[in-house]
Amino acid sequence: MKINVHGLAFKQSMAVFAGISIVFAALFLFSNSQIQGKLSQMLLQKGEEVSRANVALINKLFSSGRTFGEDVAYNIGNKKMSAAELDDYLLRTLSGVRATVPQVVAMVAAFEPGMAPKGIDGEYMRLAYFSGDSTTVINGGNYHEKIWYKSTKDSLKGIWQEPFIGDFIKEPIVIFTTPIFREDYNGEKKFAGVLCVDISIAFLKDMIANMPVSNDGYAVVLSASNMIIAHPKNELTFKANFASLSRNASHKRLVEFENAVHSMKNGLFLGSSVDGEDAAIYFTAMESIDWTFLIVWPAHKFMEEQRSVSHMYAWITFGGYAIVFVLILVITFRASRPLKSLAVAADKLGEGDFSVTIPDLTGRDEVSQLAGAFKKMRTSLQTFIETQKDMDRSKRDLEFSRGIQLGILSKNEMEEGCGDNRHALAPFLLPAQNAGGDYYDFFKLDDDHLAVLVADVAGKGIPATLVMLVSRVVIRTLALHHTSVAEIFNETNDGLMSHNRDQLFVTAWMGILDLRNGHMEFASAGHKAPAILRKDGSVSFVNSVPDIALVVKEDCTYNAQTLDLNPGDTLFMYTDGVTGARNADGETFGKDNLLRALADCGDRAPAEINSFVKERLDHFTGDVRQLDDMAMLSVRYDGAPEKA
Amino acid sequence: MEIVKTRKDVTMTLAIEGRLDSLTSPQLEAEIVGKLDGVAHLIFDLSKLEFISSSGLRALLLTQKIMDKQGSMTIRNLPQEFREYFDEVGFSRVMRIE
Repeated sequence: MKINVHGLAFKQSMAVFAGISIVFAALFLFSNSQIQGKLSQMLLQKGEEVSRANVALINKLFSSGRTFGEDVAYNIGNKKMSAAELDDYLLRTLSGVRATVPQVVAMVAAFEPGMAPKGIDGEYMRLAYFSGDSTTVINGGNYHEKIWYKSTKDSLKGIWQEPFIGDFIKEPIVIFTTPIFREDYNGEKKFAGVLCVDISIAFLKDMIANMPVSNDGYAVVLSASNMIIAHPKNELTFKANFASLSRNASHKRLVEFENAVHSMKNGLFLGSSVDGEDAAIYFTAMESIDWTFLIVWPAHKFMEEQRSVSHMYAWITFGGYAIVFVLILVITFRASRPLKSLAVAADKLGEGDFSVTIPDLTGRDEVSQLAGAFKKMRTSLQTFIETQKDMDRSKRDLEFSRGIQLGILSKNEMEEGCGDNRHALAPFLLPAQNAGGDYYDFFKLDDDHLAVLVADVAGKGIPATLVMLVSRVVIRTLALHHTSVAEIFNETNDGLMSHNRDQLFVTAWMGILDLRNGHMEFASAGHKAPAILRKDGSVSFVNSVPDIALVVKEDCTYNAQTLDLNPGDTLFMYTDGVTGARNADGETFGKDNLLRALADCGDRAPAEINSFVKERLDHFTGDVRQLDDMAMLSVRYDGAPEKA
Repeated sequence: MEIVKTRKDVTMTLAIEGRLDSLTSPQLEAEIVGKLDGVAHLIFDLSKLEFISSSGLRALLLTQKIMDKQGSMTIRNLPQEFREYFDEVGFSRVMRIE
């Protein structure tokens, strides 16, 4: 399929395609963010569920450790114990506390110089620890510059020291250090030393290892300085810090994380696992100690769900997209293909090729309607052109001829301006379907002379009409200078003869009536003799000897003939079409029928005589179409009025 | 109308059967104009003529004018009913009617 990029189909497809694209893209983005949001919420919830119990346990442990440490420091500060009493006290309390908090593995009391039990000068440090299944007290030293001692002495308040692997007890330990105060002789509270409670955090490892977390998630515990103090991978413990959990290990990332922890207490953070994998990290800040509890989900696992949903959605989107696209293409091209073939058909029609096939569409849509209308148009165009062809010359010519015949001839004496009280006349003309040369004429040469004429130009169509027009003008013009019809005919014949190549001869009968006495001079150029309807009712044909028709032979001489009309007599002139009219049996109306019709006219006026004859003719011919023109001209002579 | 054309040397005979009117006279003209080369005698046999109108007469007159220049034209077997018409329009005086 060739695609026309300027075509309607393409444009329409692209427009719909663009619209659909926007909708699909918006849907995709929206659903993706929805999925992300839902997933984050789910992770938050899961992280909280998984962490809650463990965080509570750790919190409880460290709260107890702290309280215990503070109690012991108070007792040591206020009770003036001897060295032996101190040792005993340390051993007793250690054993006691282990009954409820077994993670407490040791206690240390380190004194400021001069603050140790009586009789001991300088530094004095006692360490009670649990080993195997007994407790022991040993001496320690060189503690003054140790961080745990110094930081507590400087701050004068309880501190959780950074966890470490113990010297005596080879396991991860966290120490709570709290200052020991003692009243001097003046009753003033003075810093006397530091009490340490060593708590083993080896249990964290087991706790974390046994935590069931879905989607390959695991727990991590971070110290206050973000050191990893518990991790499923043992080798990381106390060696790596949060930076390894953060993508690119950037400082900025770490700050972001710390801020998040401080501001939110718990939440979700996107970082990376120690393996450098993308990871979602749930964090909870612990209340009792400045640690952070984390649940880490490797991205590939936790995002798998999101991805699969996203992918499924993407595929559905893409599939829908493809289907819509194909459908649009199919529909528009199906709609435009017939349009295209219609356009081709229209082109061919325009070139006059009516055999062109117009696509046969049976649907009820607009294109089918268009095709239907198109077919109708072709049919009617074809018919119209066929009729035009048939009509062509002959019909159009005849229409033209009829127009001239009927238009140029005067229809009554008023039009011609030749009426007077000495005569009355009426013409009649009925052009046939395919003839066109009959005409009549009447005009006054002067006050007393009336010229009357009927003529028949042989042939048909425009040539005949032109000859009629020319002969009418020639005869009228010649009549102005001649009073003899014979001379008029002589000159008319000579004049027309020289220009007649088509042999369009003319038969004519013309008379000039002297209105003063009813005398008429006439000539016949091959024309039928008129009839006279006398006042007494008798009818007869004029004794008219025809000469050769006009425009047949050069140098003809026409004979002048005469007749006389008495007042009340009517001269009836006519052309071939009247006597030549045929009925269904092929019989002609003929002269006898004409005479009979005239005899039956009585004293009818000229116009009525014409219509009476026409009625008889119609009666005779019935429905038979007449091939020849019919012209009639009736002239009644009324006589000169008596002069007063 | 039917025209039967026979030729013998310089003599051509056209036998016309049927109506010779405004509808059929172009057919006769087509048989004549430009097709009379070498014809010295043209004979119209009108024994089977059924009707003749002024258009028919015109076609005959046209032929007469052509034959006037190259020979002669004769009309034979003109039915009596049309003789009057020929006389009337004066054709009897310009054509040889036998």
